[in-house]
Formats: sequence, C-alpha cells, structure tokens
Amino acid sequence: MEYPIIVVGGGHAGCEAALACARMGVKTLFVTIRKGDIARMPCNPAIGGLAKGQLVREIDALGGEMGLCIDYAGIQFRMLNRGKGPAVWSPRAQADKTAYHERMLSSIEAEKNLDLIEAEITAIAMEEGKARGVRTADGEEIKAEKVIIALGTFPNGLMHIGEKQIPGGREGEPPSRGLSDMLAGAGLKRERLKTGTPPRLLKESIDFSRCQVQPGDEDPAPFSFRTKKLDVEQIPCHLTWTGEATHAIINANIHRAPLFSGQIQGTGPRYCPSIEDKVVRFSEKPRHQLFLEPEGRDSEEIYVNGLSTSLPEEVQLEMVRSIPGLENAEIVRYEYAIEYDFFPPYQIHSTLESRNIPGLYLAGQINGTSGYEEAAAQGIVAGINAVLELRGKDPFVLGRSEAYIGVLIDDLVTKEIWEPYRMFTSRAEYRLSLRQDNADERLLGYAVRFGLLPREQWEGMISARKAVRRARRRLETESVTLEGSGKMRAARLLQRPGVSLEDIEPLLPNGPLGLGKKEGESLEIDHKYRGYIRRQDRTAEKLRRMERRKIPDGFAYKDIGALSTEAREVLEKFRPETLGKAARLAGVRNSDVSVLMVFLERAGDER
Amino acid sequence: MHGDTIVALSTPPGSSGIAVIRISGPEAIGILEAMAPGAREWEPRTLHNCPLYGHGPQLLDDVVTAVFHGPHSYTGEDSAEISCHGSMQVVSAIIEEIVRRGARLAGPGEFTRRAFLSGKLDLVQAEAVADLIASETKLQTEVALLHLKGLLSGKIGMIEKGLRSKLALVEASIDFSEEDIETYDPGELETVASTYTALIAHLLQSEVAGSKLRRGIRITITGPRNAGKSSLYNALLGEERAIVSPVPGTTRDVLRERIHIGGLTYHLEDTAGLAETGCEIESEGIRKGREAAGAADLVLFVVDAVEGWQEEALEELEVHAGSNRIVVVNKADLVPGGGDTTSLSPAGEERTVAVSAMTGEGLALLRDKIFDFTTNGELSVVQGELIALNIRQGIALRRAMEALERLVAELGKNSPAEILSLELREALDACGEVTGKSAAENILDEIFSKFCIGK
Ligand SMILES: Cc1cc2nc3c(=O)[nH]c(=O)nc-3n(C[C@H](O)[C@H](O)[C@H](O)COP(=O)(O)OP(=O)(O)OC[C@H]3O[C@@H](n4cnc5c(N)ncnc54)[C@H](O)[C@@H]3O)c2cc1C
Ligand SMILES: Nc1nc2c(ncn2[C@@H]2O[C@H](COP(=O)(O)OP(=O)(O)OP(=O)(O)O)[C@@H](O)[C@H]2O)c(=O)[nH]1
Ligand SMILES: [Mg+2]
Repeated sequence: MEYPIIVVGGGHAGCEAALACARMGVKTLFVTIRKGDIARMPCNPAIGGLAKGQLVREIDALGGEMGLCIDYAGIQFRMLNRGKGPAVWSPRAQADKTAYHERMLSSIEAEKNLDLIEAEITAIAMEEGKARGVRTADGEEIKAEKVIIALGTFPNGLMHIGEKQIPGGREGEPPSRGLSDMLAGAGLKRERLKTGTPPRLLKESIDFSRCQVQPGDEDPAPFSFRTKKLDVEQIPCHLTWTGEATHAIINANIHRAPLFSGQIQGTGPRYCPSIEDKVVRFSEKPRHQLFLEPEGRDSEEIYVNGLSTSLPEEVQLEMVRSIPGLENAEIVRYEYAIEYDFFPPYQIHSTLESRNIPGLYLAGQINGTSGYEEAAAQGIVAGINAVLELRGKDPFVLGRSEAYIGVLIDDLVTKEIWEPYRMFTSRAEYRLSLRQDNADERLLGYAVRFGLLPREQWEGMISARKAVRRARRRLETESVTLEGSGKMRAARLLQRPGVSLEDIEPLLPNGPLGLGKKEGESLEIDHKYRGYIRRQDRTAEKLRRMERRKIPDGFAYKDIGALSTEAREVLEKFRPETLGKAARLAGVRNSDVSVLMVFLERAGDER
Repeated sequence: MHGDTIVALSTPPGSSGIAVIRISGPEAIGILEAMAPGAREWEPRTLHNCPLYGHGPQLLDDVVTAVFHGPHSYTGEDSAEISCHGSMQVVSAIIEEIVRRGARLAGPGEFTRRAFLSGKLDLVQAEAVADLIASETKLQTEVALLHLKGLLSGKIGMIEKGLRSKLALVEASIDFSEEDIETYDPGELETVASTYTALIAHLLQSEVAGSKLRRGIRITITGPRNAGKSSLYNALLGEERAIVSPVPGTTRDVLRERIHIGGLTYHLEDTAGLAETGCEIESEGIRKGREAAGAADLVLFVVDAVEGWQEEALEELEVHAGSNRIVVVNKADLVPGGGDTTSLSPAGEERTVAVSAMTGEGLALLRDKIFDFTTNGELSVVQGELIALNIRQGIALRRAMEALERLVAELGKNSPAEILSLELREALDACGEVTGKSAAENILDEIFSKFCIGK
C-alpha cells in the first residue's frame, strides 16, 4: 500500500490535518486507534473561549472543520468579553461531545480523498534519514511521502487517579508505546508534561436549585463563516462555589495529593491549578467558583469546571459533597491526571516539519500544547504544509501580526516549553487586528488559494469588503446633526465612545448604508480602533522586515566569537529560521542581532 | 540603502572639548539643513561654521559641519557630521532635535555596519565589525550601569514594578474574565499613571529644570580669607585663572569657568574670602560672593587646615546649613588628612574632604563627591532633575511618559481594557529600554503568580 500522505492520530489535530490534505486534492490515509474516538474531547465539553475562540474562527477561515462541527454540536453559545472592546470578544460554546464526534466522523467519511483505518502505528518507516511511511503494531508497512503524527496524550501516557497509576492514553484507552520510543531512538528529544481532568457528576444527583443559572446568549453567533444561521435550543450551565467546609477537607488531606507528595513528575499547567493548589496558595480566598457544564444535550454527566484535583477517590467524594447543590452528588468518573511524552518544538520548523526527520510533521499535544483549538490549528497548518512540500511549493507560515495561529507556531519555535502551552490574547501583541470578526478577511485568501474553500467564498467576502469601503467613504463625507453637539462628520461622531453605527445611520442625509449586520459591525470596529491599529501596524511592519531576513539552516553560530555565549547557546538550540525569530529568543540581545546581520549579509554575498 | 536615518555621538561621551555627532541616511542632510536655516547649498566635504537651532527656535550651539553625499561617505549613504561643544547638555540637545526631526538613535556599531553593508569595508572585516559591535555594546552597558546607579534605577525600577502589576490586572481582566478574580480599578490606574507621569517628568527635567541642565550646575567656592579658595579653583580648572597670594583678601570679584566631571558640565565660581572688613571694595566683593553662593546648586566651603574651625568660619558655614554643601579642608599637606578640622567638621565626615590645592592630594575624591552629590542622594541639587540621563534614556523616558499621558486620556474616555493595555505595554517597553529588560514580556507569569485562575 502507498499513499502520498499519511496522518496518524484521530484527535483534533489529526482530523484537521487529514481533511486539509484530502481537500487540497491529495489521496490521504488517516490512521487512528479507534474510529469511535475520532475528535473525542477528553476534558471540558466546550470549544472556543478566550483566545481559543479566535483560533477556531481562523481555522474556519482556512477552510477547517472545527467551526462547522461546533455549530452543529453546540448546546450553548456565548460571546465572552462582551463588556470589553470587540478586539477581545471570543466565542465559546458548550458542546455535545457525542454530536461533535459524529459530525467530524461523517465529514471525514464523506471526503473522497480520505481513507480512514483503525490501527496503532508503532514506527515511522525511514529511508535515507527521511520519513517514508509508517509501520503498524501488526508489522504492516504502509509507504508515504509525508507522514503527519498527532498522537495527543498517548505517547507513554501514564494516568494518575488518586494514589493509583495506570498506563493509558486517556481514560479507557491504552497508551501508545512504540512510536515515541522509536522517535527518541531516531534522535528526537522528548520530555514529559502533565494535565488533568476534573470529576464528572451524575446530573440527576445535583440540586440545581441551589446553583446560579448561566444561560447562553440570546442571539447566539455561529463559529463558522459558512454557517448562515444557528438554529439551536440552548441549555443553561450552572455556577456554584466551594466554601470553608470544602477547604477544611482539602487541608486535612493535602499530604495525600501526589503533586504535594512528589509522586507526579511531569509539569502541569499553571492555568489549570488543582483545587488543592488553589486552596493552599490562595488561602485568603474564602471560596472558589465552579461551573457545572453538561457533557451533552442528553448526557447524564456533568463536568465540574474548576475542580481539578489529584486527591484520592474517597476524598474527592467528601469534597464534592461539601459544595452547595452537590450535597448528594454521585461521582460517575473520578478526576484523573495524565503524564505523557512530548517532543519540545525547538525541533520543528514553522511548517511543523521535524528538523531531524524530513518528511515527518508533528501537530497538537505532542508539540507541547494543550487544548482542542491549539491542536486543530496546528493540524491544519501541518496538513497544508505537507501538501505544499509534496508539490514543491513555498511553505505556509503565518506571521504574528497576521493570525493567532501565527503567534502560536512562532511561540512554539522560539520559546522554551515547560508547561503545556495554551493560547491567551495577551500573547498576541497585535490583538487589536487579530479579531474573531475579521478572521475571514485575514485568512480566507489562503484557503481559496490552497483550494480549501471555493472561490465564491472569496468573492463574497471581497464584495462585502467593497461595500464596507463605500460605506466608510460615505461616513467620511456626510455630515450629521446631533442634538447638543451640532453638525459634524459622521466619521467623527462614530469615533466617540458610546456612539454606535446604529445611532448614526438614521441621521445620514443620503439614507441608510445598507450593510449587513456583520459588515456594519466590522466597519464600526475598524473605525473605533483605527488610530491604535495604525500605531500597531508601524511596529508590525518592522517585525515583518525582520521576518523576511532568512537565516540559512545549519548556520554556524559557534564560529562567531562576537556573539554572547548565552546567545550562541540558544541560537544553536533553536536554530531560528529568520532574524525576527532570533531576536525573540530569550537570551539574544540587540547587539547579537546586529552581529548576526553582519554575518548574514556576508553569507548572502558569497552565494 | 537601509531606509532610515540614524544619528550617534561618535566621540566618547563625557570628554570635554569638542564632540562629533554623525548622521547617516536619506534624511541626514535635510535634517541638518533644517536646523541651520542660515546655511544654503553646502559644498560637500568642506567645513562650514554655523549656528544650529532647535525647536522654538532656540539656539543650541555654534557648530562646525560637513556634509557628504552617498556613496562618497563612510557609510556610503548621505551623511553629515556636526562638531559642537563637548558638554553632554549641548550634545543631548542637538541629538534630541535630530531625533525629533525623524532620525533614530543608532544601535551599537550601526555606522560601521552600514559602511560594511554598502561595500565600503572589506568582506574580511566582518569579524572586526562584529567585535566592534560587541565591544560598543559593552561600553554602552557600562555607561548605562553607571547612570543607573542610585536614583534613576530605583525610580524606574519602581515605576516598572508598579506598571507591571497594573498590567497584570488589566490583562487578567481580559484573558480570565470568566474567573472570579480581582479586576483593575480605573480610578486607581489613573492615580498611578498620573503619579508616574509626574515622576518621569521630574526625571526628565521640566522646562525649567531643562534650562538649568543646559546652563550647567553652579558650584560656588566660599570660605574665610586665605583658606586657599582661589588655589582650589585653579586646581579644579587645571589652569592658573585666579590670582593666588598670601595676602588675605586677594580675590574681589566673582570668577566663573566651566569644568567637566563625569560627563556633566559645572560652572565653578571663585569668590572673595569672608571677613569683617572696612574696605568698601572688599565688602562689595563679599556681598557678591554671598549672592553667588546663595544661588549655587552646590557650595564648596573651604577652610584652612592649619587655622582650624574659628568662630567666624563656623558662623559662616551655618549660613549654608540648609543648602547642598561640601566642606573642603585645604592645605592638607601641612596637616596630614586635615587633622581636627576634618574630624570636627560640622558638615559631617560624609560631606568633608581634606585636600591640598597645592599638591593635588584629595582632589580626585573631591571630584567624585561633587559628582555624587549633584546626581544622587536626597540632598542632591538636581533632585532628580539632572540625573546624568544619557540621550537614549531620555528619549525612552519621554516615550514612557507620553504613553502614560495617553493612558490617562483613555481612562477619561472610559476606554476598554485592551486599549489601556496597549498604553501600559508601551510605557513598560520604554522603561525597559532604560533598564535593559522588557518587563511586559512575561506578564502571564505575573498573572499566574498573583491570581487564582484555572478550571
Ligand atoms: C485528561 C486530559 C485532560 C485535558 N485537559 C484539557 C483542558 O483542560 N483544556 C484543554 O484545552 N485541553 C485539555 N486536554 C487536552 C486536549 O484533549 C488536547 O489538547 C487535544 O485533544 C489534543 O489534540 P491532539 O489532536 O493533539 O490529540 P488527541 O485529541 O489526544 O488525539 C490523539 C489521537 O491519536 C490517536 N493515537 C495516539 N497514538 C496513536 C498511534 N500510535 N497510532 C494511531 N493513533 C494514535 C489516539 O487514538 C487519538 O485519537 C486534556 C486531555 C486529557 C487527556
Ligand atoms: N601649603 C599650602 N598652601 C596653600 C594651599 N592652598 C593655598 N595655599 C596658600 O595659601 C595662600 C592663600 O591662597 P589663596 O588661594 O589666594 O587663598 P584664597 O582663599 O583665595 O584667599 P582670598 O582670595 O584672599 O580670600 C597662598 O599663599 C597659597 O599659596 C595648600 O593646599 N597648601
Ligand atoms: Mg582668592
């Protein structure tokens, strides 16, 4: 058997990778351990959220599947941060996990260029140091030009449930052993990370009347630019709080927590501290907030967001029952944590291709990230790049000023990862421009060029953009009279805080602008942020200039005596692809960048 | 061509005499011409004498200039050289004006790098260029460190810390708005921003202090007759300017000369010896001397080690008790270490130096003390105004201040968190240029250490 591209791992990264390859017209084999676990969500039943919502919109604008799946499987939609400026609004939805899986699986099965099989891959077949296919646990070898692996938390996964330790890739699934060891044998460096998921409660055992209701948005907005209208009956979530009783139980049992006793080695993320961690470190806080989120529309299980713990089972139960509304709660599934191998991403290019093994691409959790959205974003980028490389085309690398996906991958190849990497809006220095509302304007062009979305999509956007431009010109030329402030340009009036396009439109002398809801919003947002964005653009341009200066692979830093020792070390380790990336490495100073420039220019001259 | 225009001081900072400022890039000649409105059509590679004007227009200095058209210049670009008076005040004023007109401060070794890139230098010289960049950076760091000692680093460090913790609050309110955590208080943020704006403005010297900076720091030598004031004056100047004689009451007028210590310019004044006298001319001299000492930023009170603390001297010193003073016990060559006079000094040991104007003993220590007491410490004449800010730091601080001013304006408009963050980050970034590290970078660390966040 032979395929141009093989994708291994049916998680969020693998699904987007496989679909992208197939949709770009490449016959692709998609291998995962169990079809029934395609796009499974092992942790919280939600897609999107702060910064992650932006990622989903970007994946969607690139022609990805995640947005469509969640629009189908969502049971509650909220636009977060509505109280702040629109640059940091982020869509989030509670998902019906089963529906999400089913929707993804059906898209995959419907894709004619995509063959899905169940198998465990234990080795990458190599030829002359390059990836040339995969080997299954049964010893079968399947050849391929490019291999994308997205193994999630499976590589040498070790689950911790209280004081018990069980090898596994995820609850109820065996770990993946051979492949990680084989890659380590081939020279890839690997390290361990840790993450966990809170207990699930039986829905009918909860007294929701003692909790606070959190409904969805009244006018829910879809994730996908391709979803015209959401038709969904929304389900509420609930809020409750820990209290003194809970904290007393935790304090009495703290010595039994593996994190405190030192049993767990891998580093867990600081943004997901366990409840015992919160209680110990923030002892002055009288209570901690918990979200009760349904695992699905008809699911009997409730996910307790905020209650991560590594305490033994009987303590978990005692703790849960000390919380208002949960006095009689039954735990259906206990909390567990998982430790797994990942391959620190200084070993990959921005295309997500391995430096050590050409032809091998890595995406998702194995690059040290956490989160469905982060995984999916890498998946689509890996898929696109594998195809482009196959066709001898230029690689697809998004800039930091272009997309959150660009920020994500740039961070991966320039930063030390010592906890699972998660996206935050504060990581994106150009976040005023990287908004959920304009992801299509930013990225749709690529999707159309790569054949991931039909041309009409692009044309639709262009005509909408033209309409916006026309409307903007009208605002700049037409004057309106507002009671109390006299006559002024509509554009100036719109600049004022608290004044919306809706307020101005009826006052325009030449009648309404005739824009759709989305276009009107986009015009307004752009207008309000204009001055700031222009300022950001100036620094962004400097960044782009630095990004255009490529550093040849294998550049000999060790021969440059004028570099500081610290800089030489990190440069050797990260081998940045551009001067911009070099400048962002911790330990590289301005003077080192200047020194590099001199040598780069010389290298260029000699060519 | 490298696009932008750069400027730098090409003689070592702080050295007296003449300083040379170089500008290179497409705007180089245009900027210079705009600052010298009298000049027209300069002939390249020839020296021209002309006055240079700043914003206002305000006369900056009388300078000598030369322009070079690319590629016939060191960097291969259009460039200009300005030779001006060597004081840091003049140099900073000129460079700041050039930056205001659109140039940017050159990075370490940037002139040489441009020369190299434009093919002016041999390819094999790359190593040398690189080493030069490294060593210039080292020098710059050393100079920066020197300047950072004491007040400046303390103040900026405090501002950074304050801004950083506010930024953490603002960012947490965006990235963790779903969590039940403390959020920023706009009123408090405004207070902090205004306080820091004022502080930086102070560091930067307001208009008044700025003119003081340009004027230089005034030091007046006073003390009893024959203590050796004029001798000390000459010794600090390094030339025989004042008449010295064993006759008491030799000096009658106020003499004034410029001296440089640690890159700063001082105006040193010699005055008539203090005494009860019937002589009208001498009394008039003493009156003028007292006036000068009253207006001085620092008083050097000279006593004769042999004479010791006479009643009159003590009374006279008392007059300057409230001001910034250093007691100089002179003629230490006659009484080693100044003897009792030093240890009994009412100004305290810290502010007393034994010197010999004749042998030069103790003068280096006196210079150090002068520099220290005018740039540091709670009694500093500069009170933060005259801190030896180098030009780069000055520009960075101004950027920080502008960002904070905009922040206050945004708060007034009720702007959302992401806009406040933009200004806070800019201010932090600018402070980071002064302290050499960007404090905005790892703001997530601050958030995680501060707040209880997570599912
Ligand atoms: C316990 C737990 C808690 C988590 N908590 C959070 C959280 O709080 N927030 C958050 O954002 N994210 C959390 N995650 C992470 C989130 O699930 C992942 O980030 C995301 O699913 C990663 O996607 P992925 O595509 O990289 O891998 P996964 O979704 O893990 O998918 C990996 C896939 O690869 C397949 N596979 C593995 N090895 C092989 C092999 N050798 N051959 C063939 N197929 C193979 C597996 O069967 C699986 O289908 C948690 C995960 C776990 C397990
Ligand atoms: N041995 C010795 N003699 C000194 C020293 N400094 C000054 N003298 C002598 O002291 C006498 C007075 O010196 P001046 O410098 O004129 O003193 P002054 O304080 O300016 O005096 P008036 O201007 O008259 O007030 C001269 O004879 C100097 O040579 C010194 O450090 N050591
Ligand atoms: Mg005298």
